[in-house]
Amino acid sequence: MKHYAVVHGPNLNLLGKREVGIYGGRTMESINADVEAEAKRLGVTVEFYQSNGEGELVTFIQQCRGRVDGILLNAGAYTHYSVALRDGIGAAAVPAVEVHISNIYKREAFRHVSMIAPVCIGQICGFGAYSYILGLRALIEERLDPWLA
Amino acid sequence: MKTRTFLVISGPNMNLLGTRKTSIYGKGSLEDIHRGLRARAEELDVGVECRQFNGEGEIIDCLQQAPGRFDGVIINAGAFAHYSYSLRSAIASMLLPCVEVFISNVHAREEFRHTSVIAPVCVGVIAGFGKKSYLLALDALANLGAA
Repeated sequence: MKHYAVVHGPNLNLLGKREVGIYGGRTMESINADVEAEAKRLGVTVEFYQSNGEGELVTFIQQCRGRVDGILLNAGAYTHYSVALRDGIGAAAVPAVEVHISNIYKREAFRHVSMIAPVCIGQICGFGAYSYILGLRALIEERLDPWLA
Repeated sequence: MKTRTFLVISGPNMNLLGTRKTSIYGKGSLEDIHRGLRARAEELDVGVECRQFNGEGEIIDCLQQAPGRFDGVIINAGAFAHYSYSLRSAIASMLLPCVEVFISNVHAREEFRHTSVIAPVCVGVIAGFGKKSYLLALDALANLGAA
C-alpha cells in the first residue's frame, strides 16, 4: 500500500483560529481528517507532520527519502523564500505537490513567487481545505493515469 | 438535465496537443482531455462543454456569453495567461467561478511563464499535472459550495 506524507508549515497549526477571512474556519485537525478519509477511499495511507520551524521541516522532508511515495506540502510562508526547503525537496527525491488554502495570486506580490514550485510536480491553490484533497488525488489517483511522458 | 454545467476553454495551440513539445505537454490529444472530462463529469453528475480557441477575442466572446448558461469555467489560457489583460477583465466581469489550469508546471519553465495575469481573478490555480489538471479543476468546481 502506498504511503504519503502530508506536511504543514508555519502557522498552519493555528488554522481556524487566525485570519479566518483568508484561511477559512477549518482547523488543521479537521483538514487532516478529510485527507485521511480521502486516503482511505483511495486505498493509501497517510501520515501528518506540522512544524513552525524551517529546519525541522527540512529534516522531516529529507527523512522522507525512500520512506514515502509522495509528499503533499503546504509550506506556508516558507514557500516564498526558503531555498533550504527547496533543496530539501530536491534532495528527498520524492514526488511533491505544493498546496495552498488561499489563492496566493490574489494576495500580496511577495506571495506570488514560490521557491519550491519548480521542484514540485505541480501546484494547487485557492480551494480552501479542498486544495489538500485535490493535491492528494494529484499525487496518487490511479484512475487519472499520469499523462505526461 | 444536469443541475450544473461547466464550460471548459482551452487557449492557443492546445488544438495541437499530442503533436508538439510532447515532453512538456504529453502525448495525449485535446480530444483525450475532453473525453476524460466528460467521463469525470458523468461521475460527478454535472454537465461539461469543451471549447478551444486560438484567438484571444474568441475566448473573450465565449466568456461573455457564459453567464446564465454555465455555472463555472475552467480555463487553460495557454500563453495568454501570461499577458492578456483583456482576458483577465473578461473573467472578472462574467462573475462566474473560474479555475485556471495548466498542463505543465509553469513554475519550472521560463520566467515569463511564472506570472499569470488571470490567476488573481480566478478561484484558484492547478498547474503541473498534465491531463489531470483539468480533471482536478472539474472536481474543484463541482465541490464549490459543498465545502
